[in-house]
Amino acid sequence: MSAEIYLDYAATTPLDPAVAAAMRGCLEHEHGNPSSQHAAGRRARALVDTARAEIAARVGAPAERLFFTSGATEANNLALKGSLLRGGSLARAGARAHLVTSTIEHKSVLDSAHALEESGVAVTYVPPDPLGRVAVDAVERALRDSTTLVSIMHVNNETGVIQDVTAIGALCRARGIRFHVDAAQSAGKVPLDLGSAPIDLCSLTAHKLCGPKGIGALYVAAGIALAPQMHGGEQEHGLRAGTLATHQAVGMGKAYALADPAREAPRLAALRDAFWERLRAIPGTRLNGDPDRRAPHVLNVTFPGAEGESLRFALRDLAVSAGSACAADSPEASHVLTGMGLSDALASSSLRFSVGRFTTEAEIEQAAALVAAAVERLRACAPGAPGWCTT
Amino acid sequence: MEYSPEVVRRFDSTRRAGELKTGLAGLVSGEAEDRTLGVWVRFQLQVNDGIVRAARFAAFGCPHTIAAADCAAERLEGARATELQALDVRAIQRELGVPVDKLGKLLRIEDALAACGRALPRP
Repeated sequence: MSAEIYLDYAATTPLDPAVAAAMRGCLEHEHGNPSSQHAAGRRARALVDTARAEIAARVGAPAERLFFTSGATEANNLALKGSLLRGGSLARAGARAHLVTSTIEHKSVLDSAHALEESGVAVTYVPPDPLGRVAVDAVERALRDSTTLVSIMHVNNETGVIQDVTAIGALCRARGIRFHVDAAQSAGKVPLDLGSAPIDLCSLTAHKLCGPKGIGALYVAAGIALAPQMHGGEQEHGLRAGTLATHQAVGMGKAYALADPAREAPRLAALRDAFWERLRAIPGTRLNGDPDRRAPHVLNVTFPGAEGESLRFALRDLAVSAGSACAADSPEASHVLTGMGLSDALASSSLRFSVGRFTTEAEIEQAAALVAAAVERLRACAPGAPGWCTT
Repeated sequence: MEYSPEVVRRFDSTRRAGELKTGLAGLVSGEAEDRTLGVWVRFQLQVNDGIVRAARFAAFGCPHTIAAADCAAERLEGARATELQALDVRAIQRELGVPVDKLGKLLRIEDALAACGRALPRP
């Protein structure tokens, strides 16, 4: 059995050794609580402040507008629920709050939206076009007088399609509507300048960027009020209770300091494109998502006639995903791909490949050969399969 | 999803996947599908003198379905054609260690063999 080739950077990434070193130093030598006033606490606070500044510099935000969370999922929950709920009830009593989001958001946004619906919030889910783009005019048509929040992801985690958050944000700003962006998949990979973009809330994470799991942040623009969803302390200016994990913050800061889209994106895009050039030689293969508006690290491909579960098992030496890792236990076809118009069969015959900092050209070459062999074998298992298996 | 060693073995090296040559004497075919489960199975059998001389399957389905179809095809070779419907897919499911929640897919194997039975020339 060959060594596993890791092409699932959109799910999570290996820890960069420099990040690990920074975290280790913190774990071994800095045990202070960043909220404590003694010397150990002040040292820990300084480390957290430095990390916050490193993250802020990467995304163009004032450091004091970044609030640490346990990850992007918590940040998304905080952005949506914190905007619309106060103590579990609608923030504006008697008002009919309305949220606009898309059908292809990450589960942490969609499930938060579903939870908000149960609390009385009206939600409109905007579908994407066949290329996976959430059209600005579709969002505009969904807006109502009662719309209080719009939440659209920057880069789709399954297709890598970049949404036009600048135009959607401008639309929202012109109408005085709060705008949240889930940037878990884009920060550090695609240029993002929160200082100039019309974005009010933005979710970030560390582990998609060769940082540690278990830490993220929410950017909250000045003047935007949020209701905390966790209680028990005044940490993060009362927005997110709980002792700050200094080593996690340090790891996230280091990861964001190391990430440089200008330097890294061209290499990732070249690897992705080289991979696609090899895969497209497999007859019938199709690329999912807008080829002209994609993040550099994600490639989503359908292999008609190769059943999804069998394809993934045949490629078990290859770490790839059928879609979001957060929905990997579900037998259902990807909601993103079916939302773009793919049949259940084609959606399940699709794989997401994602490259990253430690991916090599040799791995790409080897992976493409493995995929071609697996697809050929599975198709040979199903000669004469009916049309629904391939269309 | 976990796969038993027997499922892995059969999935990795199916012996009876594919098609029999068209025009073979005594060739019968039957297929079944369940689109909601995303499974399609077809069997081709060469039946001479009431005995299944060769069996091949085609399957668009999960590893469990492919492994079970391979196992079924293997057992059919040498069996009496009148015993097609006696093949117990539930027994194969247990022997291969296929999770019970996959039984719906595996039952399409029985349906496909029933279709083969209906295609047999009447004595």
